[in-house]
Amino acid sequence: MNENIFTTVCPGCSIACGMYVREKDDGAIDIDWRKDAVVNAGKLCRFGVRLSANLKNATSRVDGNEVEFSDAVTAAGKAIGDGATFVSVGNTTCAEHLALMKLAESKGAVVNTGMGAFSTIPSECHPTMGVGIPLDAIEDAKKIVLFIDPYEQYPLLVRRILAAKKNGATVTAVGWKAVSLADENKTIDPANYESELALDSDSVIIAELNPSTDPERVMVLLNLAKASGAAIMFMKPFVNAVGCDLASKKTEQKSLDQIIAEINDGSIKTLVCLDSDLIEIMPDETAVRGALGKLDNLIVITSRASAITDVAKIVVATEPLYKKAGTVVNAEGRALQNSGEGTDGVDAIGTMMGQPVGMYDEIHAALLATLGIDAVDERVVPAYEKPDYAAMDANPTAEAVETALVYAGGPFFWNGIVDDNDFVEMNLDMVTANSLLKGIPAKITSDAGEAAVKFKVSDVAPGVVLSNVKLPMTTGMVTSVTVSR
Amino acid sequence: MDIGDCYVGWATDEDIRTRGASGGLVTAMLAAALEKGLVEAVVVLKKIGEFEAVPIVTSDPEEVKAAAGSMHSVPIVLSRYLEYGTKVALPAKPCDARSTIEQAKRGQVDIDTTYIVGLNCGGTMHPAVTREMLDVMYKLDPEDIEGEEIDKGKLIFETKDGKEHAIKIDELEEEGYGRRESCQYCAVNIPTMADIACGNWGVIGDLAGKGTFVEINTEKGIAILENAIDAGAVEITPADDKGKAIRAKVDGAMMNVAAAANEKHLSPIEGSHLDYYMNALKDCINCGACKTVCPVCACGETAKCTEFSSASDTYKMSLFHLVRFVHLMDSCIGCGQCTDVCPVDIPLTHIYQRFAVPMQEEFEYKPGMDMTTPPFFGVDLIED
Repeated sequence: MNENIFTTVCPGCSIACGMYVREKDDGAIDIDWRKDAVVNAGKLCRFGVRLSANLKNATSRVDGNEVEFSDAVTAAGKAIGDGATFVSVGNTTCAEHLALMKLAESKGAVVNTGMGAFSTIPSECHPTMGVGIPLDAIEDAKKIVLFIDPYEQYPLLVRRILAAKKNGATVTAVGWKAVSLADENKTIDPANYESELALDSDSVIIAELNPSTDPERVMVLLNLAKASGAAIMFMKPFVNAVGCDLASKKTEQKSLDQIIAEINDGSIKTLVCLDSDLIEIMPDETAVRGALGKLDNLIVITSRASAITDVAKIVVATEPLYKKAGTVVNAEGRALQNSGEGTDGVDAIGTMMGQPVGMYDEIHAALLATLGIDAVDERVVPAYEKPDYAAMDANPTAEAVETALVYAGGPFFWNGIVDDNDFVEMNLDMVTANSLLKGIPAKITSDAGEAAVKFKVSDVAPGVVLSNVKLPMTTGMVTSVTVSR
Repeated sequence: MDIGDCYVGWATDEDIRTRGASGGLVTAMLAAALEKGLVEAVVVLKKIGEFEAVPIVTSDPEEVKAAAGSMHSVPIVLSRYLEYGTKVALPAKPCDARSTIEQAKRGQVDIDTTYIVGLNCGGTMHPAVTREMLDVMYKLDPEDIEGEEIDKGKLIFETKDGKEHAIKIDELEEEGYGRRESCQYCAVNIPTMADIACGNWGVIGDLAGKGTFVEINTEKGIAILENAIDAGAVEITPADDKGKAIRAKVDGAMMNVAAAANEKHLSPIEGSHLDYYMNALKDCINCGACKTVCPVCACGETAKCTEFSSASDTYKMSLFHLVRFVHLMDSCIGCGQCTDVCPVDIPLTHIYQRFAVPMQEEFEYKPGMDMTTPPFFGVDLIED
């Protein structure tokens, strides 16, 4: 009968929807709607609604054997030496991320957030790339350009965009798939964005920045925003990606591809991942598994059981996100505080670097200083400076393949969860041309293998096979494939 | 004490009397039910802020007492939190009570061990709408609000400086604020289906504002009130005829208002019905929240609505919704939860009611009013 109720945020994406998690005596959890949450008025997408069914807690392990938490912490502390590489993409609190930064610093390293674009693009752009605009501001826009599919990738943006339309906004979508709420769906050569989109200072551009995003594409969009005066918002797939980026500012970052390359060439021997499953996050699962297998030490500090916890040498299992003390910063730059009081993760990292338990308060104070606020108030978005930046030469990688499997992304995709997303989408011409039949899976073949997958006829671009679930024959976010019956 | 008796009652504890609504009778009765072992648990709203509360199932009388007072900006249906087999009591708006009864029909709730303490209800408001309304209509900072009440057709907010700010609910609703749409056309204001129906309508004279009008509807209603009296937690006096008449008059006036709202909001669809429903549902993201939150749905994970639909379907209109619209025609009570949680703001309750109301009128059957099952459950199919 007894239960604990936690006020927390959904871990599905950087919108960070407010929710309650009810935890019973036996550890079973249930989600509940927090209607007074400023971000989402209590509304949740399928990922949030089904969180209790999909959230699996991690177990502390060393060399595949289940161990006590403290033993895993001790083993990790011994294994993390100078030269270790650290990754935290933003799936946990700022407190844990900052603690990991302290640990990394003590080993002469930095924490990589995996967003390679931050390393490539001049630092004066980082505030604009990092923090978006208040969600309310989307509703006030006169024109919205979507470089995302909000239905699939960031469902809680849909109601904001619909509200903007009610207020008179026009919506243009530029992407792989027609978006039904858009007034027009277009395919535009990036060189012509400015002339074809005709944006101004009442416009909002919504795009995505993920670890696989081509920095050149980001530059093109930054140029577009600068030239037009439009506001721009880069959504991120990880709940606290913005918080982690803010905390990690001014540190040299490696992209996840670079990290995998350096593991393969032997220059990285020890990898520490904080709630960051590279097998889930990176598109070429086979290549990532191969690389991780070459490490001397793969140390995973995580609250969630996932693919990487099965292959790690050491797993330090911390409490689930909803139980953690700490703060996340969402895509708007809004700081949101958990009601949980757990500090397992912070304490574990502290122990690994020989610090006494109880770092949390010191770290939380450092976070507030970083955000320039005295206290976390979910109803107030901290003020962020966004300096002007110079236009950049940008040449996005052409993705001109005859037929391409394209990953759409979305909360289930980034968390490696197969839900009701186990199908691909293609247009009717492709279905007809390849003699596909309803009820019979399509065969998708690439140089890396093949898979038989259910398909759905959708209004996607010619030559595109869109997927929201990871398939074994992919080599990137876009993979050249053939389709057959 | 007999079924049908009416009283005016109040808590004997001064603190509960002060903090609870209308003399704190409901809070005192629920706390006494726990203290004397009549029930094992009580479902209440634990207050987090002026516009935020979370349902808890507690066996601690102090938590029940701390939950005293009404919160019109917390539109939550409590029946979802009941567990079969637990002797439990809950304060119940009519939608709480009706959904509890519908769940009992489906074997999800043991009605014999569930004490439904009904509360009169004129409607609730979504907290996000309330905050905007305070800003736009009242020109008040929501963080300055310290209390609210509905009295004589006005929504009154009290600010921290002790001042009261009132606007007519009609005026608010004309501007798109005030009560949720489903509450505007809900015609069940007095929870006569509950074991005991409580509220401030009909409390007159010296007791006005200090007492709760109580109508006993069942043996359990007698038990929970007598338990509180025996515990010394509550005092009562018989309600007079004038009070009863005023209560009936207020109820009648509310029903007329609801009927007018029904005509306004549920007027016949103009143009193509197919276009109307396709347009209303086109933004559905297949989240399933409407089913999960529905307090009369008892199907669980594997249900007709989920089994007959898939995100991989190419249909322009989701079979999930079509199945649910039909399946809930006999049980939808119009509580508004599905609309509240819909992430793309589909007015789902409105659509469910478009299906349910004509059918319920045709069969002269109103769900959740008693343990009578829908009439067509008893229909025999006859082969020609």
